[in-house]
Amino acid sequence: MTISEMNFFQRMIYIVQEYAPSLAKGAATTMAIAIICTLLGCVIGFAVGLVQTAEPHKKSGIVKRGILKAVKLILTAYVEIFRGTPMMLQAAFIYYGTAQVFGINLGMWSAAIIIVSINTGAYMAETVRGGILSIDPGQREGARAIGMSHFQTMMLVILPQSLRNIMPQIGNNLIINIKDTCVLSIIGTVELFFTFRSISGALYTYFEAATVTMIIYFILTFACSRLLRWIEGRMDGPANFDLATGDTLAFTSGLTRYNEKTGGTF
Amino acid sequence: MEEILKIEHLEKSFGSNEVLRDIDFSVNKGDVISIIGSSGSGKSTLLRCINMLEEASGGRILYHGQNILDGSVDEDQYRTKVGMVFQSFNLFNNFNVLKNCTVGQTHVLKRSKEEANANAMEFLKKVGMDQYINAKPRQLSGGQKQRVAIARALAMSPEVLLFDEPTSALDPEMVGEVLDVMKDLAKSGMTMLVVTHEMAFARDISTRVVFMADGKIEEEGSPQQIFHNPVSERTKDFLSRFMENS
Ligand SMILES: Nc1ncnc2c1ncn2[C@@H]1O[C@H](COP(=O)(O)OP(=O)(O)OP(=O)(O)O)[C@@H](O)[C@H]1O
Ligand SMILES: [Mg+2]
Repeated sequence: MTISEMNFFQRMIYIVQEYAPSLAKGAATTMAIAIICTLLGCVIGFAVGLVQTAEPHKKSGIVKRGILKAVKLILTAYVEIFRGTPMMLQAAFIYYGTAQVFGINLGMWSAAIIIVSINTGAYMAETVRGGILSIDPGQREGARAIGMSHFQTMMLVILPQSLRNIMPQIGNNLIINIKDTCVLSIIGTVELFFTFRSISGALYTYFEAATVTMIIYFILTFACSRLLRWIEGRMDGPANFDLATGDTLAFTSGLTRYNEKTGGTF
Repeated sequence: MEEILKIEHLEKSFGSNEVLRDIDFSVNKGDVISIIGSSGSGKSTLLRCINMLEEASGGRILYHGQNILDGSVDEDQYRTKVGMVFQSFNLFNNFNVLKNCTVGQTHVLKRSKEEANANAMEFLKKVGMDQYINAKPRQLSGGQKQRVAIARALAMSPEVLLFDEPTSALDPEMVGEVLDVMKDLAKSGMTMLVVTHEMAFARDISTRVVFMADGKIEEEGSPQQIFHNPVSERTKDFLSRFMENS
């Protein structure tokens, strides 16, 4: 039986059978880029968001204030430019630009990862900034009031809560990245969309190949969104708590009495 | 008597709004000072200046004789000595009760985990919250949150505790449990500076009462004097209005 004699389902099965390794490789590449770049994007986003929400220290001089202001300006430009232009063009710009201007050949993987991470970072920066601003100022005051430094306050109290609040947005970004890596086919990255084009080009079965590839994309994104929900649940901890009973006494045994000189109270 | 804090000519303005003017008073070891006064008189701002959450615009705050406003004192170290309990509790939402009471000890005071845990448990027991160490703040009632917040502040071994209307955000049936904890604290000799609308607490528990009006200390004295023989007309006025309302 030739392809032209098959029906829709037979063609889909044929594609899956014949191209399973390519499809699997394409899907793996897509997932690898999406996951790595979402994580790197988060790191960039947190770094940028942290700087964007930093207030100059009361006692810092005019030079320090100026530097902070300049850095914030540069970061704002980064965010606006990378949010405001298509990733497909950014890919072409960076990939061909580095080759032409600097004579550097980035290579498929590093180019793909740089482009998607930087792009995700631009979106995440705004998300993180919003996440930090959404935390009740009382949390910061509570932390400062027991002597935490600005840095400790951010790392121990504000960022963990912001991270939890923006998890849905991080999930969104991951899913967008899974789909949007397809624009990397412009620089020849062999990901899932590239595989689709190869198959459909070889067999002239666009409809069936598209259906198969869409199903794979959907499985990937759906699995990720479920996984992220589960992670969110884990972050929240159990809905109920156990009352600590007798054993807490064991916990306090051997406790040292409080030193009056260092500010003991009781 | 050992003087812990001395406030001299303290001023604070927000823009052109003068919120504190020429505040003078001192806090000695073992003092339980109640600060009373009508809404907007600057009570919270005063506490926040003492805790350096707001930057004073003028005057001096001497901590054991050293002016904390001239930059010679490490702000974070100072804050561990002058704890604060807020009207809105401000417990860390991402930590359970025990971690709320240990995180400052381990990260700021660099105590070992064991010492911090033992210390936290001692104070959680004092405030009757030792059974709730695994709970997250969102799982607690207001009164329970405030008692944990007090334990958190105490666990830092402060010399003075500042309270800013610690019972104002609570349902009436929970006010008592927090006031009881504060009474015990006062009796144990803790030095406290309490902004409050609980006149019974001010009258019966405090060693001194400060009445503030329009950003100034209008009158200061023993509870006996303020509540029974106030000198200033404004004090009389405020107290009579208060007694009528309650
Ligand atoms: N961050 C701020 N910026 C501008 N004005 C402020 C700020 N904080 C307080 N004020 C003003 O300072 C004055 C005193 O406020 P404060 O909160 O100290 O009063 P309070 O005595 O604590 O009142 P309450 O009993 O209602 O808590 C008010 O007029 C208030 O509007
Ligand atoms: Mg107030």
